Amino acid sequence: MAVVLACTPASDDRPALDDAGDPLPPPATRSRIVSLSPATTEILFALGAGPRVVGRTTWDLWPVEARQVPDLGNGIRPSIETVIGARPDLVVLYASNENRDAARAFRAANIAVITLRINQIAEFERATTLLGDAVGEPQRARMVVDSVRATLERVRAATAGRERPTVFMLSWETPLMTIGSGSFLSELVEIAGGRNVFADQAAPSPQVTFEEVLRRDPRFILGGPVTASKLGTNERWRLLPAVREGRVLIMDTLLVGRPGVRLGEAAVSLARLIHPGSIP
Amino acid sequence: MNLRVTLLVVALVVVSFAALALGPVPVDARELWRVVTGGADPVARAIVLDVRAPRVALALLVGAALGMSGGVLQGALRNPLAEPWLLGVSGGAAVGAVLAMSAGLGDPSFLSLAAFAGALAAVFLVLGIARASGLRADPRVLLMAGVVVGAFANAAIMVLLATAPAEAARGALWWMMGSLGSAQWRDVARLGVVLAVVGPALLHWARDLDALALGHDAAAALGVAPEATSRRLYLAASLLAAATVAAVGLVGFVGLLVPHMARSLVGARHRAVLAVSALAGSTLVVGADLAARTARAPAELPLGAVTAMVGVPFFLSLLRRMR
Repeated sequence: MAVVLACTPASDDRPALDDAGDPLPPPATRSRIVSLSPATTEILFALGAGPRVVGRTTWDLWPVEARQVPDLGNGIRPSIETVIGARPDLVVLYASNENRDAARAFRAANIAVITLRINQIAEFERATTLLGDAVGEPQRARMVVDSVRATLERVRAATAGRERPTVFMLSWETPLMTIGSGSFLSELVEIAGGRNVFADQAAPSPQVTFEEVLRRDPRFILGGPVTASKLGTNERWRLLPAVREGRVLIMDTLLVGRPGVRLGEAAVSLARLIHPGSIP
Repeated sequence: MNLRVTLLVVALVVVSFAALALGPVPVDARELWRVVTGGADPVARAIVLDVRAPRVALALLVGAALGMSGGVLQGALRNPLAEPWLLGVSGGAAVGAVLAMSAGLGDPSFLSLAAFAGALAAVFLVLGIARASGLRADPRVLLMAGVVVGAFANAAIMVLLATAPAEAARGALWWMMGSLGSAQWRDVARLGVVLAVVGPALLHWARDLDALALGHDAAAALGVAPEATSRRLYLAASLLAAATVAAVGLVGFVGLLVPHMARSLVGARHRAVLAVSALAGSTLVVGADLAARTARAPAELPLGAVTAMVGVPFFLSLLRRMR
């Protein structure tokens, strides 16, 4: 994990491409920004560029001020004319193949585009650095990265030396989906002093079979309030010792589910669930 | 030419202008005029000329292509339910697109190529099955081969989607619902070329369709070889449908509905039916796309769902009148 953190590109050795493989726009003053993913909206507000954000997705609810920004849809396959109508000079897109046409259309309309994928903590740091450069706040970007990193280190230190229970994260029930080592959530579980029972899966959100979960017999089940709270009354789920014996941990999905500036806070909340008393 | 066809032309013109003016970002008539004559706000200009105009143009072509394709298939196979989607084109295209997406090759330009290749593969498979069946020239053989290939394609798609990453699965779902959201002039040019070649050929062959409509023996007596003719028409109509799939994904119901509407307007002569199908198809798709991007703006509804929602009640009213 420390290796991942150490591999973050230094500010003088920045890659010239974004996560869709397109060249990064040249530095310029950006006064109207549309951010079409929750994590990048969080980052832009943390960078102090919030007042310049003129469009967001339906899901960008943090920080609270972000809710004042016009909602331009769900961020995947955005309505191109709605975004152009917000008159942005920079659009930040989520890296999905479904957004490729939109990126092309915005560039054709002379709007700078940055496409970012944030699945892992290192990618969050990279995205923050790139956005810091793009909106002219490189210092602040370094501060955000450093403070998140410091909190994560604090959590790692607080849970170090404790026994590391296995954790199954239930992210979706039908089909049954969990997190693999490609997800920041898997990193957060490890930092919080647990072991992701499906860390051998590389994909961020792999599909798994219930039998395999039974076989791996996780110590804890970690899930959101909607899915995890009803496991205890489900006959099938009760086959798992963790469920029968009440070791179901309920996390705040709005806090933990996003690879944004609250990664540190998310790690703290997970550490409190997995190792009560480890962090005051 | 009758009054109802004239009204259809008027409706097409009106709905096309409405589609240029209306959308999540309102552009009033005066601004629209300035976009044409110059001096408009650059953002309004970009929205109307670079975003909406290719979209409307592509909708016109997609509607015309699907309308004609359906009209030809219903005539050639002498079956009122025949349409490109029932006959394997959509299934093949979807398998091509979903294969590309689950292999991580979801770039839009590659996707349309994969869909087109899949559609053609299905079409030739259907023709091959029909030929190998050894049955006498019987439109039902083509129809059944198409349905079976389509069913197999659906099963293949489910297998692929069940194991695809969530993002690819959602992308595939979207693609299968059809959308004009990313229309570009490049797409308009490609489909335009195909329509410019195949469209006139189909109109030219309309007389063969009239002969086929009289039945197998009557057509043969008129010098139209029924088997070869219906295969040729099936191939041409499917090519047209495959080109629309490559451009916008699956847009269902237009090919089924529009020819029936055309026949209710101009009778059974196929040249007129095909021409009016093109007109009516264009009107339906331009209007449906306008609804798709304004009904729940800024979200966009899938075009294929809107065409079906508009189309089904209309189709039912046609059925009532036919009875």
